[in-house]
Amino acid sequence: MNLAEGVQFVSFIILAVLVIGAALGVVLFDKIVYSAFLLGGVFISIAGIYLLQNADFVAAAQILVYVGAINVLILFAIMLVNKKENYAPIPRRWIRKGSAAAVSIGLFVLLSIMLTRTHWSVDLSVASPALPIETIGEHLFSDYLLPFELASVLLLMALIGAVVLARREEIEGETTAIVGELPAPALELPERPREPVA
Amino acid sequence: MFVLSGYEYLLGFLLICSLVPVLALTASKVLRPSSRGPERRTTYESGMEPVGGAWIQFNIRYYMFALVFVIFDVETVFLYPWAVAFHRLGVLAFIEALIFIAILVIGLVYAWRKGALEWS
Repeated sequence: MNLAEGVQFVSFIILAVLVIGAALGVVLFDKIVYSAFLLGGVFISIAGIYLLQNADFVAAAQILVYVGAINVLILFAIMLVNKKENYAPIPRRWIRKGSAAAVSIGLFVLLSIMLTRTHWSVDLSVASPALPIETIGEHLFSDYLLPFELASVLLLMALIGAVVLARREEIEGETTAIVGELPAPALELPERPREPVA
Repeated sequence: MFVLSGYEYLLGFLLICSLVPVLALTASKVLRPSSRGPERRTTYESGMEPVGGAWIQFNIRYYMFALVFVIFDVETVFLYPWAVAFHRLGVLAFIEALIFIAILVIGLVYAWRKGALEWS
């Protein structure tokens, strides 16, 4: 049993409204935490659109990688720097705003031209595999085995690189503690402050 | 044209899930007595008094755990097609997946030995 045409259409409309609304919220909210959570909403809605396009593996990868990994990292980064501070106003802000607007409008025009010029008719003579993920799995473990194993080496490099980069401050703290006579001030960030943060 | 089967259950789950918070909140709004006491505005009714604001800077050590988590999260994407096609792939693919995991476990051991997982 498959989804009927009408249900698909209604689902697509709901998902499109969710994507556009959440994306507007990402841009327009003042508090950056709300923007990060709405970005997760955008990613999940796009995964739903992938599902409607029969791409279930891409949808799963979208949720695992974008929502599970990238959005979590963005949230962690916000947690680590989220301190209310009064920043000095940036001089000549209109140049930045104007250039951002020019780039955005240019991208919008480019995508609109691409949308109207592309032939969207799908070649239905090519039969799609019955079980897409199983087909991907079979190819991954037969003809694409070496790239698959190399991907784990790439992930290993990323993990070791992340550990080395994130630990660099502490290592510098240790060396200064050895060289200098006085104990170096700890470079760690303080634990949760007990007094209300102004 | 939608060819994936079994997703009407997902749609049903989504509809029921979106009804649950709406029904729970409206039912409690209808049933509960209205009170205007000061206790009503506390965060935890019979728990600890919260100290300080919620908008604080968190400890930077959490970031190490996030990075290690992200690597193994991306690993899941590669193992997902293997798990789905497991019954068609056989023992050789199982060994290949074990090699894949073993290479990543080296990274986990490295992070462990370097103290990235310590909470000192």
